[in-house]
Amino acid sequence: MNFELSEEQLALRDTARDLLKQRWSPDRMRHALDAPPARVGDELWAELAALGWTGICASEDSGGSGGDVVTASVLAEEVGRALLPGPLLSAVVAGRVLDRAAGTASHADLLQDHCHSTRRVTLALDEPGANPGLVPTATTADPAAGGWSLTGTKICVPDAEGSDVILVSALAPDGPRLFAVASADVAVTPMRRLDAQATSEVVLDGVHVPADAVVCDETGVEDAFDFAALLAAADLVGTASASLDLAVAYAKDRVQFGRPIGAFQAVAHPLADASVDCEIARSLVYAAALAIEESRPETDAYVSAAKAWAGQATVKACETSLAVHGGIGFTWELDIHLHLRRARAGAASYGDTDFHLDRVAARVGEMDGYAVEAAGSGEDA
Amino acid sequence: MHLTFSPEDEEYRARLRAWLDGHHAELAGAAGLMAGGGAANILDAIGMAREWQRTLYEAGYVGLAWPKAYGGQEATLTQQVIVSEELSRRNTPPLINTIGLTILGPTLVQHGTEEQKQRFLPKILTAEELWCQGFSVPEAGSDLAALRTRAEIDGDTFVVTGQKVWTSMAPIADWCFLLVRTDPTAPRHEGISYLLCDMRAPGITVRPLRNAAGGIHFSEVFFEDVRVPAANLVGELHAGWQIARSTLGHERSGLAGVLSLESNLMRLWRTAATLPRGDGVALDDTAVRRELAQRWIELEGLRHLGFRTLSAQLAGREPGASASVGKLFASELRSRIAATALRVEGPLAQVAKKSPHTVDRGRWHAFYFDAIGHSIGGGTAQIQRNTIAERVLGLPRSVQGERAEGGGPGR
Repeated sequence: MNFELSEEQLALRDTARDLLKQRWSPDRMRHALDAPPARVGDELWAELAALGWTGICASEDSGGSGGDVVTASVLAEEVGRALLPGPLLSAVVAGRVLDRAAGTASHADLLQDHCHSTRRVTLALDEPGANPGLVPTATTADPAAGGWSLTGTKICVPDAEGSDVILVSALAPDGPRLFAVASADVAVTPMRRLDAQATSEVVLDGVHVPADAVVCDETGVEDAFDFAALLAAADLVGTASASLDLAVAYAKDRVQFGRPIGAFQAVAHPLADASVDCEIARSLVYAAALAIEESRPETDAYVSAAKAWAGQATVKACETSLAVHGGIGFTWELDIHLHLRRARAGAASYGDTDFHLDRVAARVGEMDGYAVEAAGSGEDA
Repeated sequence: MHLTFSPEDEEYRARLRAWLDGHHAELAGAAGLMAGGGAANILDAIGMAREWQRTLYEAGYVGLAWPKAYGGQEATLTQQVIVSEELSRRNTPPLINTIGLTILGPTLVQHGTEEQKQRFLPKILTAEELWCQGFSVPEAGSDLAALRTRAEIDGDTFVVTGQKVWTSMAPIADWCFLLVRTDPTAPRHEGISYLLCDMRAPGITVRPLRNAAGGIHFSEVFFEDVRVPAANLVGELHAGWQIARSTLGHERSGLAGVLSLESNLMRLWRTAATLPRGDGVALDDTAVRRELAQRWIELEGLRHLGFRTLSAQLAGREPGASASVGKLFASELRSRIAATALRVEGPLAQVAKKSPHTVDRGRWHAFYFDAIGHSIGGGTAQIQRNTIAERVLGLPRSVQGERAEGGGPGR
């Protein structure tokens, strides 16, 4: 029994926090709200890759860092705290997906390039009209000479414009698969997230890909979705923590009626509640990360638990933080609205709260003790 | 990071399971007690509850954290968690002497004289002597330091006069540990002493209070010139506040509480899956299903927070104020599960127990009121929030004076 971060994970957390603070400022997200959407430039991207973060969950043989899923969630929390725009987290997912698709020479090469930032890889799961993009329906893969023909539309793809390769989920006749598609072969239209992150619409109009473009089958698509949802949850926890830190500092400092406002229970108690919710969220993120790492059968329930709770808790924490700041909290200059924007966008990404609640309900209803069939003689009175 | 127990711990679990398998009769009796049946009257019920604790003690599953010298097991933290898990899985009732086991015992181990330890600890373990706690007084609930029950020193005896309230177990307790003011001129937190008092001593009157749920759970206890020998003073004279504070602040991972909530949520989920609603069952309703899912998420969040607290303890660190995070969340989660239960019942939530059409024999109404009691006893939710705001977030104090962590009305 050891449910705490290791020394290495704590060190990564500190390194990431310091570095991202130096390299990225919330001001850039504020600026991007009135300008082209925010993306990580090539120089910073190369630095992040050199730190081993794009391949944090890829094996060392493949050019990655060989970290586990918990380690990736630690990084994701710092990304959220720093308000760093995508596509680092979808790159982390892509790195793990490609690593697991080992064996195919083209994927091995792509993974090497991905880890060394010579090629950028992002992930396209979401579709218009479909909630989370867990099961692609609007994008189809039809067998074609020597490979596949892909048709459909993907949305909210993290920074497809800046990427060389997109891992696209599509529905083949025998189930969903993930395909590696060159971004040059698709039509990319810029989208903008609520928090000014650069995302994209990707339209595939009979794009032909070779047979070895298949990265994984249905299980792999669900794994990729789970990992992406987990990192989104961890990112949310980071932004919740950052906004809570701002509010706590302000509540200690701001004096009204002769006392720091944090001495008033009407201010202190909502902050206490927000910190409780945050710790619960962090605990759920660790639980989900460990479930993915250990390929546990109830992984989907734990991932959805983390994502549903982190979304709700982060929105609430950011709204509380804004309220604690009073009028100044509603100003453009203060960072709170940047966190709130990220909270709202993040809560809706990779499955919104209702989607994840439904997914939890479906799984828990089958668990021992919860399923009616499992009741039996244990019934009391 | 891993959530597995060591092979030694798993062996320990296997032995406990085997023991439980061999004690069906006692288990059934204990389970009957919890359901309120199986005993002809309250005295029989108490006798059976004492017997159950003694049986469990003799098997080596009570006093797990206590020193062997006083009948304890010196078991590891993980073994303590395993015992909680396995007992909860079998739906066994809480031990009757829980107040003595969880509050007074650790206090005596830490602050008691050798004589007090030898005299009192073994009988707490066997439930031969039942204990109640006399901390709260009518004018001092959350503000425990305002207590006015006083004790005058008469030679080698304390003479106690005053009143305690919200005292659980008082009518059946053999002994009471209580805080009294021994120096009325000293500042609030000084001049308080910690005494052990025989509940059969002349001058004690117990008046049971009926709670909002209709049950008799706690009492008022009146002390009129009650004589307590000086040998029953715990720690130094006038040092009672610090002593009480040290054990009220002694928080655990809260994992035992998670298991009790879990068995209730499991039960509720099965009810929702079978209770007719419209053309189907309650669980078919999207809103009901999502609300139940939310409760499961919260339960797992609490469980994994508990694992983090436990891990910190295993690494030799005091969880400190972070344990109050779990305590607050657990109490609120209990209330939310109760509210969800009444939502699952739907229109039938209006039907009382022992009536036609009642759901699950009225257990969710009982759970609902019980949850309200939980949110007040042992420190109200508001006091917990003060603690978190000040000790976790470092916000300035909202009220003057010093509080006992987890202080508040009743135990």
